[in-house]
Amino acid sequence: MTFLLASGDNPLGHVVDKPMYGVQAPESWSLWRLTQDTGVPVSCAVIIFSGLLVCFLLWRAARAIETGPASQGVDRYITKGRLGQFVESIVVGLRDQMLVPVMGEKDTRRYLPFLLSLFFFLLVVNLFGLMPFADIQFMLRHAFVNDDVQEFILFGGTATANLMVTGGLAIICFFVIQMHAFRELGFGGWLEHLCGGRDLVHGPKGLYLVIPIIFVVEFLGLFIKPAALAIRLFANMVGGHTLMATLLMFGLMAAKAGLGSLAIGGISVASGSFALIIFFLEIFVAFLQAFIFMFLTAVFISTMSHHDEEHAEEHAHAEAHH
Amino acid sequence: MPPRLRAGEAPSLLCGEAHDRDPIVMLASAGGEPELIKLDSLPAITAIVVFLVAFSFLAVVVWPKIVKGLDERNAKIVGEIKAAEAAQAKAKAAQAEFEKRLEEARAEADRMVRAARGEAERQAEELRSRAAKELEDMKARATQELEGAKRAALSEIHAAAATLATSVAAKILKREIQAGDQKRLVEESLSELGAR
Repeated sequence: MTFLLASGDNPLGHVVDKPMYGVQAPESWSLWRLTQDTGVPVSCAVIIFSGLLVCFLLWRAARAIETGPASQGVDRYITKGRLGQFVESIVVGLRDQMLVPVMGEKDTRRYLPFLLSLFFFLLVVNLFGLMPFADIQFMLRHAFVNDDVQEFILFGGTATANLMVTGGLAIICFFVIQMHAFRELGFGGWLEHLCGGRDLVHGPKGLYLVIPIIFVVEFLGLFIKPAALAIRLFANMVGGHTLMATLLMFGLMAAKAGLGSLAIGGISVASGSFALIIFFLEIFVAFLQAFIFMFLTAVFISTMSHHDEEHAEEHAHAEAHH
Repeated sequence: MPPRLRAGEAPSLLCGEAHDRDPIVMLASAGGEPELIKLDSLPAITAIVVFLVAFSFLAVVVWPKIVKGLDERNAKIVGEIKAAEAAQAKAKAAQAEFEKRLEEARAEADRMVRAARGEAERQAEELRSRAAKELEDMKARATQELEGAKRAALSEIHAAAATLATSVAAKILKREIQAGDQKRLVEESLSELGAR
């Protein structure tokens, strides 16, 4: 009952990032932090812990997946343990079913470490958001300390429900995409891509009027695409958690409305049951959004690649026509 | 019994002193208006730095091991499948060769059986014809011998008969013979003939 009521007066209050209790950043940081607040957001702690955890878990998985000594015989090729098997199935599925068809063998091999690191990092951060660390800390604090502290939180919350966090990761993706574009296409090719591609630039002169429009759209697209990644992840995390918090709030609203304990209990159980269903949906969303962020990054990278096969096919067609 | 809300009255958590120290109420009312989007670069920089550090570690320590392990397993599986296919092809070729040789051996055996049977028949025929010829020869020889013996016997009979006739005639000429004499003479002649 306590936890069912713990969502707060405003569901967003449960979702948004909060400052860590008792942790202050130097005031001199305010210039580059773009804020006068000196509090350190709790998402920073979650991100650091998630980074450590993802490194540890994947290191354990790598040890389970890697080929063992020859003394183990054929068993040395078998992945040991559930964590290793879980990671392996995800890696193989993403690589063979998702990335290779989009990026090709060569680019997949090159960007697989980055893309999979991004996926697992986001997955861990998203899943952390589903664990009620903040509520538990608050309850424990007030169970043992009798004071007026209203925001006691050291760790917890959904870091990806902070647009700054998803934006930071999107900035990394932006640079990776552009670095790939310059590496693959060169500056001229990159500029040509922004102008609509080879067919348009070297095409009929009558279409040159379209090139400035396409350039503006494509240039803005360079920033809009990563921004869309950040906003999509942020919005999905906020939306799902807000819905869950809203459902959990119904019991508290019933209590505030002065209903009887039976009604409060009934409403709490009903809304809690729905919240539980949404919780399972949120687990799926955590995987899905991590995948979408990673996969769209792969798609954006692949759009900046040479399309040798297509060009070869075009040349073949052209020669056939000649 | 908590006070009931009047129509149009907004529910408030901070409705009484008793609730002020309630952790649920305090959690519920914490923080005032939440800021959904707060411009603070610290989380962004933390995310960038932590991700880049984690990525560096994973790219150097973790992913090479995982990719190598998966590649080795893939190579092992592909190699095993290729080896199995090669062995299967080899087995099929060996089976085809074996069947071909078996067929050849069977044909050779048939041919040999036919040849042996022909040879046996030829030999049997030869034996049969040889036996028939020998039989004919033996028969001819026997006939010839019989004929010779017959002729010898006849000549001997003729000679004996002539001698006997001569002897009888001589005795007849010596005396007039009685009926009893005739019988005795014949018997004597026969006994003489038998003695020869």
